[in-house]
Amino acid sequence: MIKKPDVCILRADGINCDEETFHAFESAGAKCTMVHINQLRRGEEKLSRYQILALPGGFSYGDDIHSGKILAVELIYFLKEQLTEFVNNGKLIIGICNGFQVLVRTGLLPYRRLGEIKTTLMDNSSGHFECRWVNLLIESSHCVFTRGMAGRVMSAQVANSGGKFYTSPDILQDIENKGQVVFRYAGNDGHPTLSYPANPNGSINAIAGICDSTGRIMGLMPHPERCVSQTQHPNWRRLDNNISQCCRDIFKNAVEYVREA
Amino acid sequence: MIQEVRVMVRDSIPDSKGDEILFDIHQALGINSVEKVRTAKVFRFEGISENNALFLADKLLAEDIFQSFRVNSTIIDDADFTVEVAYKPGVMNPEAASLMKSASDLGIDGLIAADSAWEYGFYGKKVTEADIEHIVNGLLVNATVQYVVKESPKTLIIQGKPGPTEIIPIGSMSDQQLIDLSKDKLFLNLEEMKVIQSYFRSLDRDPTDCEIEIIAQTWSEHCGHKTFKAKLIVDGEEKKPLLQRLSDATKESKHPLVLSAFVDNSGVMDFYDGMAVCGKVETHNSPSAIEPYGGAMTGSGGVFRDIAGTGLGAKVIASTNMFCLAPPGLPADEIPPGCLHPHYLLRRVIAGIRDYGNRMGVPTNNGSLHFHRDYRAKPTVIAGAYGILPAAGCQKGQPKKGDRVVAMGGRTGRDGIHGATFSSGEMTDRTIDVNASAVQIGHPIEEKRMFDAILAAGDEGLIRAITDCGAGGFASAVGEMGAETGVRIALDLAPLKYPGLSPWEILLSESQERMVLAVAPDHVERLLEICRNYNVEVTILGEFTDDGHFTATYGEQQIMNLDMDFLHDGLPQRVLKAAWKNPQLSSFKTSEPADWPGLYKKVMRDLDICSKEPIVKMYDHGVQGTNALPPFSGVHLDGPNDAAILTPILGRPYGLVISHGLNPILNRIDPYYGSIWAATEAVSNAVACGANPNEMVLIDNFIWPFPDEEQLGALDMAIDACVDFVRATGMPFISGKDSLSSTYRSQDGTVIKIPPVLCVSAFGRITDVTRTVSADFKKAGNHIVLLGYRDTKEMAGSTYNQIHGTLGSNLPRINLDNLTCVLKTLYRSISLDQLQACHDLSEGGLAAALAEMCFGGDLGAVINIPDDENPVNFLFNETAGCFLAELPAGLEPIEVFGNIPCRIIGVTSTDKKITVKHSEGKLFTLTLNELKTAWQQPMKEVFR
Repeated sequence: MIKKPDVCILRADGINCDEETFHAFESAGAKCTMVHINQLRRGEEKLSRYQILALPGGFSYGDDIHSGKILAVELIYFLKEQLTEFVNNGKLIIGICNGFQVLVRTGLLPYRRLGEIKTTLMDNSSGHFECRWVNLLIESSHCVFTRGMAGRVMSAQVANSGGKFYTSPDILQDIENKGQVVFRYAGNDGHPTLSYPANPNGSINAIAGICDSTGRIMGLMPHPERCVSQTQHPNWRRLDNNISQCCRDIFKNAVEYVREA
Repeated sequence: MIQEVRVMVRDSIPDSKGDEILFDIHQALGINSVEKVRTAKVFRFEGISENNALFLADKLLAEDIFQSFRVNSTIIDDADFTVEVAYKPGVMNPEAASLMKSASDLGIDGLIAADSAWEYGFYGKKVTEADIEHIVNGLLVNATVQYVVKESPKTLIIQGKPGPTEIIPIGSMSDQQLIDLSKDKLFLNLEEMKVIQSYFRSLDRDPTDCEIEIIAQTWSEHCGHKTFKAKLIVDGEEKKPLLQRLSDATKESKHPLVLSAFVDNSGVMDFYDGMAVCGKVETHNSPSAIEPYGGAMTGSGGVFRDIAGTGLGAKVIASTNMFCLAPPGLPADEIPPGCLHPHYLLRRVIAGIRDYGNRMGVPTNNGSLHFHRDYRAKPTVIAGAYGILPAAGCQKGQPKKGDRVVAMGGRTGRDGIHGATFSSGEMTDRTIDVNASAVQIGHPIEEKRMFDAILAAGDEGLIRAITDCGAGGFASAVGEMGAETGVRIALDLAPLKYPGLSPWEILLSESQERMVLAVAPDHVERLLEICRNYNVEVTILGEFTDDGHFTATYGEQQIMNLDMDFLHDGLPQRVLKAAWKNPQLSSFKTSEPADWPGLYKKVMRDLDICSKEPIVKMYDHGVQGTNALPPFSGVHLDGPNDAAILTPILGRPYGLVISHGLNPILNRIDPYYGSIWAATEAVSNAVACGANPNEMVLIDNFIWPFPDEEQLGALDMAIDACVDFVRATGMPFISGKDSLSSTYRSQDGTVIKIPPVLCVSAFGRITDVTRTVSADFKKAGNHIVLLGYRDTKEMAGSTYNQIHGTLGSNLPRINLDNLTCVLKTLYRSISLDQLQACHDLSEGGLAAALAEMCFGGDLGAVINIPDDENPVNFLFNETAGCFLAELPAGLEPIEVFGNIPCRIIGVTSTDKKITVKHSEGKLFTLTLNELKTAWQQPMKEVFR
């Protein structure tokens, strides 16, 4: 029997996409455990037991001050060593929506440097929460989660009020040059777009998700875990049977990468 | 000393929050002098040094990439006007706890208190003081909970000493004194006051304020349902109480899937795989009328807790909302004194539902909006929730002697004191001032982590009984839970938000996000451990006894000792007279319009019919990943569906179908047929998507004007309708709620009664969600089939009539036996995969249904109105229980629907136009585009 990779689904006050993230990884062949941040802080649980760390969506600590900020502070100040070891051992981290916000606010994205915030996710240009389906162009990158998917356009739901990717021109240029952009919002023609609502929050360079330079840490605003089976797509009655394939593959790729390693 | 940190988005970067406010200033207030708005966040810290404030600003509060900050100095310094808005002291700011936590995580010592506020800078040379005042009052500040900060506070700490427990000398009071005592505070009538008086006379003592308050609360209309339990004399004849008639009908239906009806915080039906589903729908009209954001939030929070407090704990899986408001464009001078403008109400109610549900991670995927100017004094705000729980733990728990009374979740503050009694009173122009304490701001994260802990405790079998603290707070939750046994609590143990609460306030406080559990002594330790893990505060308040008394102490002092029997059964049954008088309505004959496309667009633009997409998109309708039929689908994802279908067990095909029906106008014409319409609409919405009518249950919500003889007559007829509906269709009501106070009285004698609302919610199960349909047309060349029984002359109450300024008198009279046949046949055809799409006819009739199906499919249609039909009536009749179905060409309707009335009325087409013919002659053609623009316009004007 093939060993199932162990996934740590991180919980904290206000995280609310944990169960569907759990389900997405389990369907892809992983073994998931829900782990509350307090269990890690108290030492009852150790990150080292896991090969994949998933930071699900939600409103950690109410998204007070900045989305994901309070959880990011907690990770930086209480789990710095564990996280550093986890990353240095070549393990995988995925942050979805609020999880992505946490990853940029810890500094794990884009440069794997805890405490150094180089990119941010701001309030949407629309000024409010928005839940809608968008097209995502999968860029050619070395991201582990999107291996073999470059060039495809996938459908996923965004649901946030602060998903506008923003950074300085230098950093933007740098992550573009290094191929760290993984997903871009695309129009119906499949091309990246800055125009609303296809680009739902006003992200620069239409960026919806990025990875670190190793491709093992990835964060994205849309929710692939919400569409790992056919009937989770709003138009499954009209569209072909593969509509949820790309979302599913993101989790499968992670599981396969761990199995190969 | 308080340190202030101000943070704002850098000048070079757009300020989205400011832009959103600017949109509202222009759009909602019509003030065009403001050219730009910039916003800044203000943080205040008490007990730390300026250096530490700088450290916090750098590490926590401001992000250098896009923000700048200043410590102890202004930051918006070039605006023409600046205004700072904060929560009033004592109104809980959810962010304060996060500031405290994160500062502690960052190693900052000595922080005693923290708070945050918003500062707004307004730019524009022509902006006047009056403009700013208008913006502040109309948009930024709700004086119930917020204030404009003119001077920085000296301290953030709230001080206070609890008042003494008072003895109310009720024994010696005259009738007039009893009435005065009740007025504005207890909302009981003289007869009830006298029952209390004689009870205490028999005990030979006077009550404490605690005792009087808890009796008033338990006996309030809100909690005691006095009208629904009253003996009725209808037109001189005695009839059983309303509630009993409903629950008897449910019992008679002997529905095999019903597991718990009318006894718990929600009604429960069987699901699959050992699981059950439950549903509850609540109203939150009174708080929403004076503070719509907080009111809607706490409405959602409360109904979620009803679900969490069902059986031995359930997981909340869906949220719904239905609102009745005055039109947002109503001129300001038509709003009665003491009432808020509907434009503000609409936006703030929706923001409240959005912010609570989204943060809780509960998908909001079914709802509706209805508009009528008679809601201008008091809106109807309905929030529903659904849950899933193990069938084995779905019965209401019963505490045993010695079980601990465990309070969980948020702290107790002076919030919502008198909420239960307040919502039972009529609204007057004094309501905002007198009852301001009845409103609070919700804290969804507090509730979310409490639910996480409850589900974990439930999994380990630690819960003997559970209920939520809603109206009446601890008094109600603890009192009801211990009704069969007796219970003793120590009020001084309850954790408080701030000092100074008197014992009766602790007992009655309606602070949100609290629940009460009965836990066996052996399990207490483990429960405390779970709560610690989830950061949930938990307190043992006392224990259940076997003495049949509700006893409370505060320190050494006993402040309450009431007989449970008197508390729960001492309320005298009311005897009420009811007599409905048929309104004098003139009949109305429709006539062919000169401008058909103009009429069609006008109907589609009607507020009840227009697209609500901008609202739905602000709700997270996809969280939990369970949507198998979302609110909108189709080529451009803008075609509305009739119901929500969820797969609450991920990876399994089992579906939970949720829908509702509501029509305030028809009840004014005829409460019986109006109510039949609402129930029919609820179940039709579900069956149109593929729900099985044999496996569905119902929830009732009556939102009525104050029940005088006539309104009670209307209520009596509505109940008759519900009972007949259950008997004919076999679908039972398993939960319900009445709210009978929607009458407004001003000092000048103006009386406004809302149009009476029966909202029927339906939920049911299906074995396989792949055997369901959406409403969007799938393919050109398919047949469009009209299904169901209707007499198109029955136009009363239709949108068409209302557009023409009249109600009419001949309303749809739905035959329930016929309806039952239609529903069963339609279900069978969908489960056999014979239909490509289906949509039920409701507001706007066939015309609106057809248009919406075309929008979804991005396809046109050519339809032919039969010779013997009047085209206006054919298109705009609103009889519920009728459907449009899309059938592949070649499949004869009779093969699918048998002897149910069905006929092909047209075909779908690629040309993106709707063409209507009559007797084979063309009546009119219009493009989908112009029709859709009209349909989408109204809400785009209200929401960005």
